[in-house]
Amino acid sequence: MRRRTFPAALVVMVLLLVFAATAHAARVSELTESTATERAIRFFSFQDPSLRYALGGSILLGISCGMMGVFLVVRRLSLMSDALSHAVLPGVAFGYLWNMTRDPVAIFIGATLCGLLGAGLVQAIRSTTRQKEDAALGFVLSAFFATGVCLMTMIQNMPGGNKGGLDKFMFGQAAALGPTDLILLAVVTFLVVGMIFVFYKEMTVTSFDNAFARTVGIRPQVFHYLLMLLLAFAVVSALQAVGVVLVSAMLVIPACAAFVLSDRLGPMLLLAACFGMTTGSTGAFFSYVGRDLPTGPLMVLSASTVFTAALFFAPRHGILAKILRHANRSRRIKRENALKAIYRVLEDGDFRTEHISLNDYANSRRQPPGESRRSLGALSRKGLVVLAPNDDTFSLTPAGWRRACEIVRNHRLWELYLTRAAHFAVDHVHEDAEQIEHMLGEDTVHKLESFLNHARRDPHGRLIPGREDIEGGISRTKPTAA
Amino acid sequence: MITMLPSFDLQRVFIEPWTTGFPITIWIVVMGILVGTACGWVGNYLLLRGMVLIGDAISHSILPGLVIAFVVFNSTHTIAMFAGALAAGVTTITLIEFIHKRSRIKVDAAICIVFTTLFAFGVVITQMLNTGGAVHIDAECILYGEIAFVALEPPVHLAGMALGPASVLRMAVISLVSLLVVMIFYKELLITSFDAALSKSMGIRANVWHYGLMLALSLIVVSAFEAVGAIMVVAMLIVPPMFAAQLSRRLPIRFLLTFLHSCASALLGYHLSVWLDCSVAGAMVVMGSLLYVIAWGMTSGSRIIKRWAPHQQEIVPQS
Amino acid sequence: MSDSSAPPLEVHDLSVAYHQKPVLYGIDLSVPAGQLVGIIGPNGAGKSTFIKAVLGLLRPSTGWVKIFGDSYEKNCRRVGYVPQRESVDWDFPVNVMDVVLMGRYGHLRLAQRPTARDREIARECLEKVQMLPLANRQIGDLSGGQQQRVFLARALAQESDIYFMDEPFAGVDAATEAAIVELLRELKQHGKTVMVVHHDLTTATTYFDMLMLLNMRLTAFGPTAQVFNPDLLQKTYGGRLTILTEAASMRHQDSPP
Repeated sequence: MRRRTFPAALVVMVLLLVFAATAHAARVSELTESTATERAIRFFSFQDPSLRYALGGSILLGISCGMMGVFLVVRRLSLMSDALSHAVLPGVAFGYLWNMTRDPVAIFIGATLCGLLGAGLVQAIRSTTRQKEDAALGFVLSAFFATGVCLMTMIQNMPGGNKGGLDKFMFGQAAALGPTDLILLAVVTFLVVGMIFVFYKEMTVTSFDNAFARTVGIRPQVFHYLLMLLLAFAVVSALQAVGVVLVSAMLVIPACAAFVLSDRLGPMLLLAACFGMTTGSTGAFFSYVGRDLPTGPLMVLSASTVFTAALFFAPRHGILAKILRHANRSRRIKRENALKAIYRVLEDGDFRTEHISLNDYANSRRQPPGESRRSLGALSRKGLVVLAPNDDTFSLTPAGWRRACEIVRNHRLWELYLTRAAHFAVDHVHEDAEQIEHMLGEDTVHKLESFLNHARRDPHGRLIPGREDIEGGISRTKPTAA
Repeated sequence: MITMLPSFDLQRVFIEPWTTGFPITIWIVVMGILVGTACGWVGNYLLLRGMVLIGDAISHSILPGLVIAFVVFNSTHTIAMFAGALAAGVTTITLIEFIHKRSRIKVDAAICIVFTTLFAFGVVITQMLNTGGAVHIDAECILYGEIAFVALEPPVHLAGMALGPASVLRMAVISLVSLLVVMIFYKELLITSFDAALSKSMGIRANVWHYGLMLALSLIVVSAFEAVGAIMVVAMLIVPPMFAAQLSRRLPIRFLLTFLHSCASALLGYHLSVWLDCSVAGAMVVMGSLLYVIAWGMTSGSRIIKRWAPHQQEIVPQS
Repeated sequence: MSDSSAPPLEVHDLSVAYHQKPVLYGIDLSVPAGQLVGIIGPNGAGKSTFIKAVLGLLRPSTGWVKIFGDSYEKNCRRVGYVPQRESVDWDFPVNVMDVVLMGRYGHLRLAQRPTARDREIARECLEKVQMLPLANRQIGDLSGGQQQRVFLARALAQESDIYFMDEPFAGVDAATEAAIVELLRELKQHGKTVMVVHHDLTTATTYFDMLMLLNMRLTAFGPTAQVFNPDLLQKTYGGRLTILTEAASMRHQDSPP
């Protein structure tokens, strides 16, 4: 249900933005600011129409690129997008040569055609030669880009014509966006969001499992080409603001940040669009404040900042979360090993007393007393043991007793299982049980217990703590052990 | 649009460069050949190892390395530039590995993230230095290179003889070294490219050669950078080896073909740039790519037709 | 159910070549309805290729395939497919429910969303493979056996009449293997035909009604009891069709290297 509402919400958002950008275009006289702060203030007053175009355009391209990027990332087409975005450059030049002016529509058409030609050429090289995909991509990227560079430099050296803004196609300049650019961006964004909304099901299944998609009557080729077409549109519409060289980054980086953060495609699309919008507008902001700074690299840098943050701080798949989980696990294993050692000390004393002397414990673990005291301190903080006031003895709390019994039970059950079911020798099972005892879940333990007919003795002849021991505490254990 | 093309004037395009313009032409063409050959020889191994796009990534991320080295050492001395380039190369590879191994991001996306970020960083610093007036590095120079300027450099004198422009000499040394490396370590590079496990069993450590290759790549890229620019370097790494691979399966022949391809594309490219009055490096790559397309058409023409013509049934022998 | 008399799968003279190297030659067979068929053969015998060619995922160089007497394209809704587990990226951002719902896509029109009824069916299929409690898990969090169960549930959701399964037993735990066998029997009881690529010769006789012995050519096809004999197995696993391969690749030498 929720999945159905979010693209709709996005469409509304896009429309609102388009209207907001064009609705109240109050003309403000050109001011000449000097300091960065003044320019920053001016940025947030939104009174400059060219600034509104720049900001609106950056947000729109953030949405379309971010959402397209999601499909590129999950289909592993990131480098394809890089090749395609370089391949559009000759198209930009042809579009300019068409009527010797920076006409957004002519450039859009030329660049799209060139991009698609490039994508087709990659396919052609792959299917007719022994060259691998990376080589084909690299070739198309460099051949087309070189052609573009030749044409662009030729145009720069040509007399006449209106070349304004053409040099900004390399690294992008959001401030050079005009009303026509904005309309193009809005149309493309609408198209991208709309197509993803309409063909969400088809795009997902063809991305996930090509072969399966065919067997449910969905033709992957059709959607691959649709995706390439949309990609070309998104790339070309973003060119003026981001530039040829770095537009692939605006496709890939926000989507990757979203990928680290989400486990389903819907939220991932939404997140990528949000990241695209934020990084797009941040790039536009810094480019405006810094006057001559090209927009593309700034957008990319802000996107990478978001990505780095996501990479490290993502709650489930982030690097820090993984490190923390690992540390937690090793701390838990340490605690459980300490509890097991305490149980062994109690067992050696035939459970006659609940109090354990620190020395016995340290001896049994072959540890210096200081280290043992530290590990007991960790246990008492977790409420598993109670230290006597004089610090020489301690006893298990009920929770500590339960956990200690469980660990010992897991260990001994597993040893028994290995010797009985897998016919391991008795002296070969301890190491394996040391590992598995920390991982066995209640379900598996129940299965093991019933498989072993609730046996009471492990292969070494020691007692396996049963449920009544765990529930009953140390005093109940004594008679059964005896 | 055709009318926009400058008229083709045989005298201007083909005769003049070799008569009145000879001192300029010769150095530009020699530089083009050297860059193409040195890049191409490393590129052949990259192609074999399926690491073409790592080469792409490194060539992009050299930029921040150079700029930071310039800021730190406050000079454009060759050693400083080499140090910056090496650091950038190592950083790129480490970051790609880090992202790819420590998260669910796949390697292609990791490559894309790392090199675009580093390149963007380089561009921004360059632009800030420009505005600060500290130095003027043209954004276009980053992309297109300035191969046309090599002839304007004052020539280096050795024992009273004018040898040639410094950057051409440097490139020549690098090419020579890369040629020697390719010849001396041919066997090791080949075996580690082909089968890393086998090479390990034979006592050749694939890792060492992997990083050695990356080191050579960084050095070659940084020397070529000035001449042909960041993205054209990628082309020089990819196009000549692809041309060679299209025509031969044997590595020594491929090296020879790479060299021939570089010569042809440098020569033809220079004339193209004179005709169209455009970027020299760009024109060289365009001619190189055309040569590849011709080789492609010649070797797999029948397959191309088969692939794109209406499907014909293949006859498979029956027993 | 258009033509009840036509066999679920009919293959005539099917040959497939990968990169100009022949993989399958002249396969002829007709599978009767309601059978569990094991596809057995050594590595590289073309078992997966056979399934892919039948499903139109690979273009055969000769021959034709009919599903319930008609082309695959016409009857693709009556075909269920379980691909190899390694064929997809398990980091893909979908959860278990999303994957099983994909099985319903064949019954939906272009751009139509799954309905409440589809969700209900998907839930039932998950229940059948005992995966319902994990419906909201990301698929990468599952164990190998659980992933295979998800794929089976997806195939069940297709509600097809013939199923093709590519190594469903590869790398799964014993419990999953038992569950899959149980499921196969249930499908058979409902009159479905199931074709399974299988590796383990020791279990082949107990799991399947019919066997298809494959090594580039179809060495034998018939009821398990008849086909599973040392002679035919030797022919499938021992005898390599070297001369045939050589002759075939020589034919292709006319294209440039």
